[in-house]
Amino acid sequence: MDRRELLGWMVATGGLAALERLSPADLLTIGRDAHHAEPAHAARERTLDARAAALVTIVAEQIIPASETPGASDAGVTAFVEHMLTGWYSPADRDRFLAGLADLDLRSRARGGVSFAMLDAATQRALLEVIDDEVTALRTAHGASANAHWFAMLKYLTVWGYCTSERGMRETLHTWPMPMRYDGNAAVK
Amino acid sequence: MKTHSMTAPLLRDYDAIVVGSGMTGGWAAKELTELGLRTLVLEAGRPITPERDAREHVAPFEMPFRGLGDRRAVDTRQSVQQKSVTFDEMSRQFWTDDIDNPYSTPESRAFDWFRARQVGGKSLIWGRQTYRMSNLDFEANLRDGIAADWPIRYVDIAPWYDRVERFIGVSGQAEQLPQLPDGAFLAAMQLNCVEQHVKERIAARYGRERVLTIGRAAVLTSALNGRAPCHYCGPCHRLCSTRSYFSSINATLPAAQATGRMTLRPHSIVRALRYDASQKRVSGVHVIDAQTGVEHLFTARVVFLCASSIESARLLLNSATPQFPNGLANSSDQVGRNIMDHIKWGGASGEIDGFADRRVIGERPNGIYVPRFRNVTSRHPDFIRGYGFQGGAGRGGWESATRAPGIGLAFKARLTEPGPWSMSFVGFGEMLPRESNRATIDPQLKDKWGIPALHIDAQWSENELAIHRDMNVTAAELLDAAGARNIRPSTRGPSTPGNSNHEMGTARMGRDPTTSVLNGWNQAWDARNLFITDGAFMTSSSCQNPSLTYMAMTARACHHAVAELKRRNL
Repeated sequence: MDRRELLGWMVATGGLAALERLSPADLLTIGRDAHHAEPAHAARERTLDARAAALVTIVAEQIIPASETPGASDAGVTAFVEHMLTGWYSPADRDRFLAGLADLDLRSRARGGVSFAMLDAATQRALLEVIDDEVTALRTAHGASANAHWFAMLKYLTVWGYCTSERGMRETLHTWPMPMRYDGNAAVK
Repeated sequence: MKTHSMTAPLLRDYDAIVVGSGMTGGWAAKELTELGLRTLVLEAGRPITPERDAREHVAPFEMPFRGLGDRRAVDTRQSVQQKSVTFDEMSRQFWTDDIDNPYSTPESRAFDWFRARQVGGKSLIWGRQTYRMSNLDFEANLRDGIAADWPIRYVDIAPWYDRVERFIGVSGQAEQLPQLPDGAFLAAMQLNCVEQHVKERIAARYGRERVLTIGRAAVLTSALNGRAPCHYCGPCHRLCSTRSYFSSINATLPAAQATGRMTLRPHSIVRALRYDASQKRVSGVHVIDAQTGVEHLFTARVVFLCASSIESARLLLNSATPQFPNGLANSSDQVGRNIMDHIKWGGASGEIDGFADRRVIGERPNGIYVPRFRNVTSRHPDFIRGYGFQGGAGRGGWESATRAPGIGLAFKARLTEPGPWSMSFVGFGEMLPRESNRATIDPQLKDKWGIPALHIDAQWSENELAIHRDMNVTAAELLDAAGARNIRPSTRGPSTPGNSNHEMGTARMGRDPTTSVLNGWNQAWDARNLFITDGAFMTSSSCQNPSLTYMAMTARACHHAVAELKRRNL
């Protein structure tokens, strides 16, 4: 019986002594092993071609850049965006998002004569700040309907994808592993 | 858990049959087997074992949709179930498929019917809040002159509350309030620093009239019967590897199994009850095997319906006989009527200053509770009955950044900055029983197995809506007492009936066979060996979360049934 089998057996038999001996790290493996053993989702069609994926990576990294902690790229945000666009959003949402990426290139060419990816980082950032301000204005005027804007979608997915990634949770937010205890009056570090 | 083996010789006759394996089915199984009865427990869904099915420690990054759920599949197959507060990407597996299990409502009046078909039923995904009812509740219908009088009083149920609480384990704080009797509590969970502050400020203004206490939760704070104390990981509704919260699979079914007298048969959909007119008793149940489609008949001396309130009513309505053309045990015409739930979403939230250097570590599977204070010692001009508040205090995290302005390093920094402390109160209000709130058999609609489905027609009355409005007022008063700023009364309208997952009342108990379905022992007036102990028996709804009362009444009914069997009265 290997260690994981042993853990499974301890839980299955429900012995209190066994359960009480489990360390937080051992507890964390229970249930997750069974989850990992499930077949992964089959590969499906993709929404982002290589060029669009590269654009998403650049924009996401501008939203959450690497510093002493990981950035959006380190956290694999682009793969999450791809997964959500293909498997979660409606076709209309997806089309609006892709049109937004195309529009970003158009605005980039109008501004600097080259595609967004070819702009220097400072110019990229300046253009994204203009778009971010446009979304903020839209939100002020129209509330939650601003969430449908392609950049609002990408910011949402970037933050969500980053803050639920393993590196984001472990290295930036310190929300993983689960603390396995409760303190309702702890000091802010 | 061992389950019925398809290859073993199929026993057809038992001392007792229990329909359902959840909150009350587990209790019926435990009590009946411990009292010596060979008991068949029929469960419509699949077997569940924590070691295989628990998902509470799965990290967000291990979920395909990072906690946002498989939206397309959910919208297609679980359009109703997804509205429950404990439905999520990992707990989705514990709710039914709405296409396979349909029901209808009037177009203009939605009703959220949350259902769980698996061993453990809804005890796997309940909110775990555990409160006693008091004579304020048991005397309410008599006092107000509405519906039917409860045939029991607090003294009848109190010892059974004790029995259930000692077995399931309830953490909580004794408060000596007559409207919310104390129980046999394990150590209370900790209020966080802001909740403690708010509690003290409310006490300073309202004394003993309005009291904030820690929620009473069926989650262990110390070891009990082979179950370990809570380790505060948070998402109980994805199951618990350490069996720390009460569910039937964590506690009652193993106890029944240990007697050697339980046969648990999953994948067993009870289509109808079989009635013996000459004996005036239920002689058995017709079961469709969900895996093979083959129909079986099982017989027993006593039958307990623990299928959930509305499902048990459906079963009676689908079991009409020449003697009972409107549904079995329905000579009163009360089966399916008086559907109740709790009205919610009224309340308020506000920000609490100070405590900037304080935070919470871990996820407490419990919140605060403010017991009912309306119509306790004084009368409110706009409504009868009352409501309690649940809620809590916490600091916002990164979620608010998903819709916030900014990009770059400054924006990234706000992901790790704790937000302001916010305190919120959410009311749960009593719903009056009304005969017009009713489930009937839909003449056309059938489920996947060809069993007639229900049409559910229920709506709030002015009394509930007045309660809902008052929640906003008094929650704001509590926050004002706490010194909160930016106090925001709830902008949400009333919840959809059913959404509190507290549906009840569809086979009420009473003192008169012409106006009630069950007597004071949960025993059908029309079929003495038929007991209904899920929420269907509730004569009024009180405003407290009801599961503890269902369990206590189940245990009480089992002991009565066995005594009656011994006296040869059944």
